[in-house]
Order: sequence, then structure tokens, then C-alpha cells
Amino acid sequence: MKMKNKPAGTPQRGVLAFLVLPMLAVLGFAIVATRAQQNTSGHASDFTSVEYYEPPNQQQVKSRLSGTEASPEPGGLLVVKQLKLETFDLNGKSEIIVDAPECVYDTLNGVATSPGQLQVRTGDGKFRVEGEGFLWRQTNSFLTISNHVRTVIEISPEKKA
Amino acid sequence: MKNVCLLIGLIAVAGAWSLRAQTNTNAVDEILALVTTNAPAPKPQPPRQPTRIEADGPADFDLAGRRVIYHSHVRVDDPEMKLSCERLTADLPQEGGRINNIVAETNVVIDFTDDKGQTMHATGDKMVYVYSAQNGATNETVTLTGQPELDNAQGKSTGDVIVWNRTSNHLTISNPKMVFRQNLNGATTGTNPPTPMTTPLPVVKTTNYPPGTVENIDTIKQ
Repeated sequence: MKMKNKPAGTPQRGVLAFLVLPMLAVLGFAIVATRAQQNTSGHASDFTSVEYYEPPNQQQVKSRLSGTEASPEPGGLLVVKQLKLETFDLNGKSEIIVDAPECVYDTLNGVATSPGQLQVRTGDGKFRVEGEGFLWRQTNSFLTISNHVRTVIEISPEKKA
Repeated sequence: MKNVCLLIGLIAVAGAWSLRAQTNTNAVDEILALVTTNAPAPKPQPPRQPTRIEADGPADFDLAGRRVIYHSHVRVDDPEMKLSCERLTADLPQEGGRINNIVAETNVVIDFTDDKGQTMHATGDKMVYVYSAQNGATNETVTLTGQPELDNAQGKSTGDVIVWNRTSNHLTISNPKMVFRQNLNGATTGTNPPTPMTTPLPVVKTTNYPPGTVENIDTIKQ
């Protein structure tokens, strides 16, 4: 398994800035959790965490993160298993869905990595990407998929002039 | 008697009206039937096969800048063309939109089929695909640079820059050099009828050949 070309980015707020808050929420730092079991060591299982839009759209769900397990590791690391992340627009329409069997999130640097499989697809399913091994830099919304990258783009037929 | 006559008269009028109405209904039905019969049935458009991009990786997705860069053995499988290269950069479209800018670099190989079913094989160091739509008009071009070559049934074309306008299906080659493909009987290959050697390639309609730049020395025998 190779992890190469780790991009060096400049700090920016990104489209997928949803990763940090939900994961922190899992640990109990800022929780809007709908269902979670958390023990004294900070280990959470079968959790779902929801993030809402800023006012005046605070009733609208911005993202929903779920997983079967989340356990803190030394160095500010958080191991999440069976990660599923879905983002929504202001109308509640699904935008992006991310699936990863396992990933490690560096809470100090805002970086998520995994040697495993990653699947990303848009809500309408017309854009799908998958691959093995990934690195996500939350600061600049930069995702690197390391190996065997497969993209499927479905384009609606156009009327010819 | 008067009442009977009135009744008969009423029945007759009612019958006539009924018959007329029925006739009119039949006429309408007939017209509808004609219209329905003559109207061309709307042809269901077959669903377009998706475009697939595969790469050994890595691939970098700049989600803020809406750009993706694929590295290492990149293959694009599209219903209209197949492409391979070592590095491919594409701008991610907005929702519902389409990719409007693709740059393929290093060992670019493209195989495509035009509207007439003619297959073409193109190579070069760099390919730039641009799609734009303004005021309902679309423009779609493929530009090949870096020792570009275009190979089809009629022959092989090279030049400094090869631009294929997919909207007009015209090909423009700057500083063109061409080698016509000919079989032993002097006829060009393929299913087209034989054409004189002086006839320019059908695909280079918009090319202005500078005098003396068209080479016809090396003939490829089939």
C-alpha cells in the first residue's frame, strides 16, 4: 500500500469542512448526537452525529456522520470505523456521500487518512469516485486518493443543435 | 294528429342532430386517427453510457477549486472516445453541468469515431479539451500539440497543432504534413470510392495548405 504525493496546502476553509466538527462531536466536545454510546475512555460505538447550518438555517441539517466505532488514540488521533458521511444543501437535498470502512483522523492537524477503501459519490449518484488509500486535508479541502482511482461520470444526453 | 306530427318532427330533428353529431364525432376521430397515425413516434433516446476515468494514482481532488488531477496510467473510456495519458487534469462541473475543460499530458493517445463512423487515432504530448456554451450555442474543441499525429483510413497527418472542432466536425492542422494511404490499385482504402491523390483528406476541410507542404512521398501499402 503506497501513500504518496501528500499535498502541501494553504489554510483555507473548504467544502468538506464537515469532517472535524462531527468527529469532535463524537468525542463529546461539541455534541449534537442523536444516538451514541460512549464509555469513560471516550470510546463511542454505533454513533450518529448531526451538524446543522448556521442561523437563520439552524433547522436544516448540514451533514450527518455515522460510524460503528470511534476511539481516541494518543497524539490527538481518532480512529473511526465504518464511516459514513452525508452532506445536504439548504433544501435538504443530499450533496455528497462518503463511505470508508476505516480512517484515522488527526484532530490537531485536521487530516484524515486511511490505507483502506474510499467511496465518494454525489447525492444524485452521477459522479462517483472510489480508490484505495486516501488523505484528506480539511484546511484546504484537498483529497488525495492514492491508488486504483476509478471515477464514473454520468452525463445526461444533450439535444444536438 | 297535430301532436303526432310534432312528435314525429321532433324525433326526426333529434335523429338528424344525433346523426350529425355522430358524423362530427367520427370526423374528429378520423382526424385524430390520422394525426396519430402520421405523427412520427418520438424516438426514445438511449441512455448515454457513463464516462469512466481510471488511474493507477494518485488522484488529487481540489474540492475548493473544483479541480481533479489524475496521475499515472490514466485511462478515459467515453462513448465517443477513448483516451490514455500519464496525467489528466479536469475541472469539476457544477451540479447538473458538464466537464468543460480537460488537459491530458504525456503520451496522449486518443481513439475516437466521428459522426460518419470513421475511426481516428490521434497521438501527441498534450491534448486540451474545451467545451463552452453561450447563448444556446455550444463550442467543443480538442487541440493536440507536441508532435501531434492523426491517423485514419485515408492516411496520416502531422503538424504543429491539430485542432478538431467537434461542433462543426472540422479539422484544422497548422503546418500540415500528410501521408496518404493507398492500396496496390491506387485507390484509397476503406469503403469510400477511389479518389484522386490530389483530393485533400475529407477531414481537413478547413485546412489551408501552404504550397509545397503536403508531402506524398511515403505511401503506405495495405
